[in-house]
Amino acid sequence: MEPMESDSISNASSPAPLRRGRRPNPQIEQWKRTWYFLRRNTLAIVGLGILLFFVAMALYAISQPLPWDNLNQFCSTNQGSGAPNDCLPGQTEICTYGAGTTPPHAGCYQTPISYPSVVPPTWSASPLSGGPLPLGSLTVLPSGSLYFSIFQGLLRGVDWTLMISIAIVGGGAIAGLFLGAISGFYGGVVDETIMRIVDIFLSIPQLLFVIIVISVVDTTTTSVFGLAPTDTKVLLLILGFMAVWWPFYARLVRGQVLVVREQKYVEAARASGGSRGRIIARHIVPNSVYPVFIQMSLDVGTVPLLIAALIFLQFQLFPTLYFPEWGTLAALSVTQIGAFLTDCQVGICYIPWWQLVFPGLALFLYAISVNFLADGLRDALDPRLRR
Amino acid sequence: MWLYIVRRMILLVPIIVGVMTITFLLVSALPVTERLTAVYGDPSPHATWVYNPTLTPGQGPCPGAPNKQPCSNPVYQRDLHDLGLDQPVPVQWGIYIFNSLTFQWGTVSNHSSAALLIPSIKGLPVITVLSWYLPNTIELAVLSLLIILVISIPLGNLAAVNRNRPVDQAARIMSFSGFALPGFLLASLVLTGVVIGVGSNTGYHVFTPWCPSGATLYGEFTGSWPVSSCFGGVGGATSYPSWIHNNGIYSTPTGFPTVDALVHGMYWLALDTIIRMILPALVIAFGTIAILLRFVRNSMLEVMNLDFVRTARSEGIPEQTVIKRHAGRNSLNVTITVMGLLFAFFIGGFPIIEDVFSLNGVGLMLAYSVQNSSGPIDFSLVFGSTLLFTFIVVFANIIVDVLYAYLDPRVRLG
Repeated sequence: MEPMESDSISNASSPAPLRRGRRPNPQIEQWKRTWYFLRRNTLAIVGLGILLFFVAMALYAISQPLPWDNLNQFCSTNQGSGAPNDCLPGQTEICTYGAGTTPPHAGCYQTPISYPSVVPPTWSASPLSGGPLPLGSLTVLPSGSLYFSIFQGLLRGVDWTLMISIAIVGGGAIAGLFLGAISGFYGGVVDETIMRIVDIFLSIPQLLFVIIVISVVDTTTTSVFGLAPTDTKVLLLILGFMAVWWPFYARLVRGQVLVVREQKYVEAARASGGSRGRIIARHIVPNSVYPVFIQMSLDVGTVPLLIAALIFLQFQLFPTLYFPEWGTLAALSVTQIGAFLTDCQVGICYIPWWQLVFPGLALFLYAISVNFLADGLRDALDPRLRR
Repeated sequence: MWLYIVRRMILLVPIIVGVMTITFLLVSALPVTERLTAVYGDPSPHATWVYNPTLTPGQGPCPGAPNKQPCSNPVYQRDLHDLGLDQPVPVQWGIYIFNSLTFQWGTVSNHSSAALLIPSIKGLPVITVLSWYLPNTIELAVLSLLIILVISIPLGNLAAVNRNRPVDQAARIMSFSGFALPGFLLASLVLTGVVIGVGSNTGYHVFTPWCPSGATLYGEFTGSWPVSSCFGGVGGATSYPSWIHNNGIYSTPTGFPTVDALVHGMYWLALDTIIRMILPALVIAFGTIAILLRFVRNSMLEVMNLDFVRTARSEGIPEQTVIKRHAGRNSLNVTITVMGLLFAFFIGGFPIIEDVFSLNGVGLMLAYSVQNSSGPIDFSLVFGSTLLFTFIVVFANIIVDVLYAYLDPRVRLG
């Protein structure tokens, strides 16, 4: 039989050990303790590592002087017909020629004969400036869409993905924190009003609401606040998701505030003459905010999956089909693999697995790493769950 | 108890009206022509020119008017008046609420992507179309929920009992993987695996012993109907039975395919329908099991620390009995709540799963109606689905609350 879990072991309830000479800062001690418990959770550390890797990738991508429009690395070729091709300076031309034969043009990128514009994976970076994995675009690309390697797409996509998900979750959390705290502090009519609004928003299906907001604005105008079409769409996406996201946080924070408000330590602070502001700032907010952090870290992983879902439903979120965002890349590649499989049944099998595997893996790793981290944070921040 | 139910029902009114107000605001932001299209479909006998994609400026019945722009045409004015769009906004709001509550949700537009993909729903009232597709989704939701329950309750209890041991970690990794893997990715992989593994030659269709070549009675099928031996080799059926209407889209009398098949005594067909739903249900279950598993585990952990469990242990009752009878049963309250909400969420449809597996559910309908890349988005269907899902969520909330109050006297008396 397993021994009973005991709360008294946890360090939170026992006073921090005083060292001789100086008094340790209790907040630093608290962070150290959290880090100590987090460090012992292997999954959480793995999640943190993956997340830090992605953040580093995003920083690298931002530091590169390459706007996303210039991702058009490949262009289709005239295949020796004499007609001018649509290549721009600096682009790599995609040609068809068999192994061992000479390329029709110099610097031409070799593709399999059966699938003329599929760029197969190769470790040679020679004609491309992108990196070690020039992986690529497909037959069914409509003209005018972007041609870029999956590697470049992932690299450019990491900052869009992180930016969009953090903006949505951060905005929703701030709005929810504010309204939920007001609701919990003041109670009465204010509380009732805000909570009814929360109920209304919670009853609306999330994805549908975002779809409706984007398409209604889209029917009316292509640009809000004088922004470029891309930025307009991204802004609408963020605002739409924020509108369906804040109620969760408002409810969460209100519940926490209601619980914390009645705690003995708040009563003690009040009895020892703490002002209202001090009690709110030092006792109520710090003690009711940590579930918000946990929920935020969970949600940050969900947003790219939802965007991918919208793209997969062929709801065009971004002005160009091939927008370098992980969800978009993964969703589009699934549809394309489907087309290849249909061909496969005719007889020629050529499955560009790298199209699906890399964006899918990136999405999966991102979502699962924030989940692991959130789970670890929950255990580390809540004294009752510690061992 | 009745008082509690009535109180909850009264609280429901402002929520429903609130949601309708939000949708009304969004509808009002649409151009007038789009609103007329959403109500009448098009081309309508009322005003074919109101929505005419081929109309160019300077042409049509309204010289000088820009594309799609209405002008003072008597038919147009009459339609505006019929819809109450010439009334002040508060009156329009009232009309909208009344229409929404009486299920007058408009007509499927002839030019929209959904009508292009499923021609047989052209010009039909939205509520009719949704009522054809809803039963399939409900069956899928029930099946997935059953799978989730069967897996997550024992696994959650096991994870709580063996907390932080390998079993717990494995359960955690499994459930998080399901959560983090995009649904369309998993669904496509599973389907691809089945297509490759089983060797069906029609692409995205699931092979079953009864219907080779991926013919499905209720989904789309790529081959022509009938497929030989699809009816279990019985009777050599050559067409749909008379109780299946509109090329397999809906059936009578109940609309639920499995139930209808049983009513008409076709047991093998009911079984076939269920077998077709197992793969999508498994994919759904894998994706959402993390939610229930986490709740079961946490509530079990809480209950296991309570005094009555300690007492039971100190009485010398075997550990297995304590876990099953004392802790397990008392941890189920939360599970029921989460399950109810999950079910409501499920009935909202699984656009992606139903799209991938070609299941005729509301999710598929939704997926088709928002495809703005293949045709104009169908606003009547999208707004209609929003209202439908809101009703479902709100009523499911009430049922869960009532169930909870029934199970826990502290709620209904407090």
